Amino acid sequence: MSNNIYAIELENITKTFGSVVANKNINLNVKQGEILALLGENGSGKTTLMNMLSGIYKPDSGTIKVNGVPVTIHSPEDSKKYGIGMVHQHFKLVDVFTAADNIWMGAQNAGLILKNDRYEKIAEISNKFGFEFNPRKVVSNMSVSEKQTLEILRVLYYGANVIILDEPTAVLTVQEIRKLFDVLRRMKEEGHSIIIITHKLNEVMEISDRVTILRKGEYIDTVNTSETNEQELTDLMVGHKVNLNIERVETSFDRPLLEIRNLTIKNDEGSKAIDDVNFYIRGGEILGVAGIAGCGQKELCEAIAGLRKIEDGQIIHKGENIVGLTPKAIIEKGISMSFIPEDRLGMGLAPSLSITDNMMLKNYNQGKSIFVDRDKARNKAQELIDRLGIVTPSTETPVRRLSGGNVQKVLVGREIDAGPNVIITAYPVRGLDINSSYAIYDILNEQKKDGVGILFVGEDLDVMLALCDKIMVLCHGKLMGVVHAHKATKEELGLMMTGAKDISEVNGKVAGIAKDSLIADSKEASDE
Amino acid sequence: MNKNREPLIRVVKREGMKRREIVMLYFGAIILALGIGAILLLSLDAEPFEYYEKMFTMGTIGNKLAYIQFQTYVQEFVPLLITSLALSLAFKMRFWNIGGEGQFLLGSLAGATVAFMVPTSTNVFLSMFLMILAGAVVGGLIGLSTAALKVKFGTNETLFTLMINYVALYVMRFFGETKADWNIFLRPEERPKFNQIPDNTKMFTIKIGDFSLELSLILAIVLVVVLYFYLNRTKQGYEIAVVGDSINTAKYAGMKVNKVICRTMFISAALIGAAGALRVSSVHALSDSITNSVGWTGIVVAWLAKLNPIGIVIVSALITLLQCGCRFASSSFGNIDSHFADLLQGIILFVILAADFFIRFKIVFRHNSKKSSSEKEVNA
Amino acid sequence: MNVFVNFLFVIVKNNIALLYGTVGEIVTEKSGSLNLGVEGTMAIGAIGGVLIGCKSGSLLVGILASFFFAALCGLFFAFMTVTLQANQNVTGLTITTFGLGMYYFIGNAFKNAGKWPTNNVVDSLNGMKPIEIPLLSKIPVIGKAFFSQNIFVYLGIIIAVVIWWYLKYTKPGLRIRAIGENPASADAVGVNITLYKYVHLMLGSGIMGIGGLLMALTLSGSFEGSKCWIDGFGWISIALVIFANWNTLLAIIGTLVFGLFNTLKVYGSTLADFYPKVFGWLNKIPPQFMQALPFIITAVVLVVSSISKRKTDEPAAIGRNYYREER
Repeated sequence: MSNNIYAIELENITKTFGSVVANKNINLNVKQGEILALLGENGSGKTTLMNMLSGIYKPDSGTIKVNGVPVTIHSPEDSKKYGIGMVHQHFKLVDVFTAADNIWMGAQNAGLILKNDRYEKIAEISNKFGFEFNPRKVVSNMSVSEKQTLEILRVLYYGANVIILDEPTAVLTVQEIRKLFDVLRRMKEEGHSIIIITHKLNEVMEISDRVTILRKGEYIDTVNTSETNEQELTDLMVGHKVNLNIERVETSFDRPLLEIRNLTIKNDEGSKAIDDVNFYIRGGEILGVAGIAGCGQKELCEAIAGLRKIEDGQIIHKGENIVGLTPKAIIEKGISMSFIPEDRLGMGLAPSLSITDNMMLKNYNQGKSIFVDRDKARNKAQELIDRLGIVTPSTETPVRRLSGGNVQKVLVGREIDAGPNVIITAYPVRGLDINSSYAIYDILNEQKKDGVGILFVGEDLDVMLALCDKIMVLCHGKLMGVVHAHKATKEELGLMMTGAKDISEVNGKVAGIAKDSLIADSKEASDE
Repeated sequence: MNKNREPLIRVVKREGMKRREIVMLYFGAIILALGIGAILLLSLDAEPFEYYEKMFTMGTIGNKLAYIQFQTYVQEFVPLLITSLALSLAFKMRFWNIGGEGQFLLGSLAGATVAFMVPTSTNVFLSMFLMILAGAVVGGLIGLSTAALKVKFGTNETLFTLMINYVALYVMRFFGETKADWNIFLRPEERPKFNQIPDNTKMFTIKIGDFSLELSLILAIVLVVVLYFYLNRTKQGYEIAVVGDSINTAKYAGMKVNKVICRTMFISAALIGAAGALRVSSVHALSDSITNSVGWTGIVVAWLAKLNPIGIVIVSALITLLQCGCRFASSSFGNIDSHFADLLQGIILFVILAADFFIRFKIVFRHNSKKSSSEKEVNA
Repeated sequence: MNVFVNFLFVIVKNNIALLYGTVGEIVTEKSGSLNLGVEGTMAIGAIGGVLIGCKSGSLLVGILASFFFAALCGLFFAFMTVTLQANQNVTGLTITTFGLGMYYFIGNAFKNAGKWPTNNVVDSLNGMKPIEIPLLSKIPVIGKAFFSQNIFVYLGIIIAVVIWWYLKYTKPGLRIRAIGENPASADAVGVNITLYKYVHLMLGSGIMGIGGLLMALTLSGSFEGSKCWIDGFGWISIALVIFANWNTLLAIIGTLVFGLFNTLKVYGSTLADFYPKVFGWLNKIPPQFMQALPFIITAVVLVVSSISKRKTDEPAAIGRNYYREER
């Protein structure tokens, strides 16, 4: 096979969800027998792009070529036919089936009748690729890494020529990763093309031949791995420092409002989302949270709001442990949480209800009347519409019908209107245009002046460096350290986010513990 | 290269169809359904226009005994209206209460029990009140236990309520077919047959000329207004809306989701039970077909009306018209059975469900796919 | 002993239609769809099978016709729920309303026109004549009940066994179970979900239809204007699916258990009279309780299995429509 023909070529691929542009004019190509790393931060559109190769989504525009021939992929079936196989980050396995049956159900060569020799055939293949694997094991009894092995084996079994792996190493141990990489190298030697989505730079350097970088849904560059280094890749991934002219309001910090100690939380799959994390927020302070896709931000927010059970640790608000309180009690303590998920609707808003109705979500129950005070809510809605420039036909329009930016203004506006003393806000400017973003920063700064403690979970490092007072960095649920925003550099944050730099414990000082802590039994109190 | 072409049509989710367009679409759907019905009628050599005319007027025009038709109409309309309203409460929370039949049957049994127990000297309003109360309590408790099982253990409410429907039916038959001293529901002599309830428990009516207006109609209209305000103005109604829209958001807002589900299900089933008791008072005797299938039809009505109380009034009025009308029309069209109403109802629902598809999704044709995506942008 | 033997015989003969309804609904539910239209589907299959069967005078044609017309209902259900993404509960209920409406409409049309097949023609279907299986039918007590039955009994059991084998041991069976459990995973490996759903929803409904024809023939195919042949058996079938834990072999046993209660309603007092010592207590139990028992048992099974979190074979994705681009 000639190395000049591309196994896959994507030209000018664009995909939008409603008004959100997930991919914009993206170009990408993979040669026969090479490993391409697809690098990018959370929300940069890597998975969406790959889902168009695997037939889950269809591009709005652009061309896909397989071996130089333009094709249209309508379904996963087509994708398989063109020799493309994808290992999804969220496993697509039938829990009640054995490993073998999960493979067999999509196998072309499998006969009409299920025979017991399918277990041997699959064991054989699995040995050939160097996996130790029991094909009779039922998926629901498997560990996370076993499930992933099964997913990889399945794609290999289907004889895919192009193999896409979405964050394959996130759940594997070091030894398993080595084994996986051995397999990938062997596949490459046999002429397979591999696309690996990751954000671990050391792995990119180790395994890939070339790297394509996406940022905010746009194509940035493709570089040869041998001609680059981790520093350059980080720069490409996070972008050059941009002066945003976001004002950092100087305030006098109060004592810690919210203190988190030794917090451990599990995610829905049962693995640790947040692992023994300490941090605190003072009144009049914005603490940024930086980290790459799914490093525990969502679980952290949910835990503070009382929506997720914690495994271990303390959440102290004004010296009082709030672990185990109901979400309602936590709201009443003045802790506000807003989380903008990728589809922008989800937690915090009832999409089919009007703006007015969403205004009273958290305070509808005030007062003794059995009736809701919709007039007050309507006035508040109108006030927000005017103040934040929300574009909507009326206050009675269902929130679902608004564009993304306006949905966010409704959510953030409502949260601030409730007069909280702690604001947890995740991705409040996700997908917003410049002006709307600045409107949100102004709102947050005003709150800060009023002595509110703000936890700002963000994606854009430039914004965080300009807006936040301090930034804590998470990497796979672990705290990598807390830095002062005015002293930190983007590069430093990038290295911490990818786990290359860990300053969570320097000279015996543990990061994230206040020296004037309100927690009585805190012995090793120290500022970072 | 056929396989590489974009498919001719693509299905895309859509939002924000105008209300007027939706009404027009539904109207068109009903016309289409009636058209299909007309073809069926023609296949039996029945003149469709004549049939539909008889059906829609129920033969009331130029008929001296028209008031009887109206009375029957009201008797059938009220239980369907109340049951549909009640079911819509549960459906708003995406709680699939398909146990309307059972709740209605047991409610009517409870109502009849009270009717036979209260002293015959009791005032008609008091005895009706007690009957309704009994029906509501019995129905409500069934609903509450279903909801409790659902929120505590995740018992499938669709299948559970379905089973209870049949248990209730056989309970009713047991009382209707068992001759015994304790069985107060039967006539004293003869073969087992349900007895008439005492006069003081029979539905209070207001005479308007020849027409007797049943109190239950007034109660039902009051209920529509109350429910409208309950759903749109009260805190509890607001909770139902949020829970139905997004359970995660409801939890986030600090609502006790389980409590909301249990409470709403209690109210839903209690209303159906009360409707059962009212029905006994209205038709004066129990029967194992006392529900007139409102538990089933109510589901269809609630769904067709998009769970909107005002819509439910309109749809249930039309469905009752369909049923009463077909029964009347079939008396002059010997070869058309009155079950034609079911057939027509089925066709209407199918056509409307299909119309719903065009409200939720948009079909994009290959050549103008660019245009439609820019349209979407404008919409959003 | 004769009375008891006859009792067993009647249990099997009069209730085997439940097996068809249940097996059909199991096929449907295993593909992830809850079809509440069993009653209407059976009615349509029944009337189509009787009319076409009588017209042709062939039992085989009758059975094929009942399968065909019921499968059309399945096609309709698939079109509404898979292609048009309509709510499954509402669609199923509507199929029942529509099916029963159609049943009366067609039946009355033929009857009023004097074209309803007479009993002589129905007899020509010949379906209800017992076929004695040599040797086996001579087994004491159970021989008559199981091996001296009409063709539908054998066919029903064969279908139940074949479907069990099909779902468990063939690749299409594996795929349809995967769709019922997790359609996204089946989709990801390239299973054509739409095609599989259509085929199996039609297959399931078709099987129900044969059960409908059987019920019609049990009542010698005479059409009454006010009462449907199916008389609630469709609903019992839905209950039986849960009782049988979505397993068509267990459905055979379930049919016998449910059939036992059904039969005791009419046969209980005879048994009690003939065997007062053994079955005398039957007279004390209200027949309605016997009839309600299947539903009570199923409700209890539902509750107990959800309380104990016991793993049932209920397909995980049942009742939910699949839309690939849902995020």
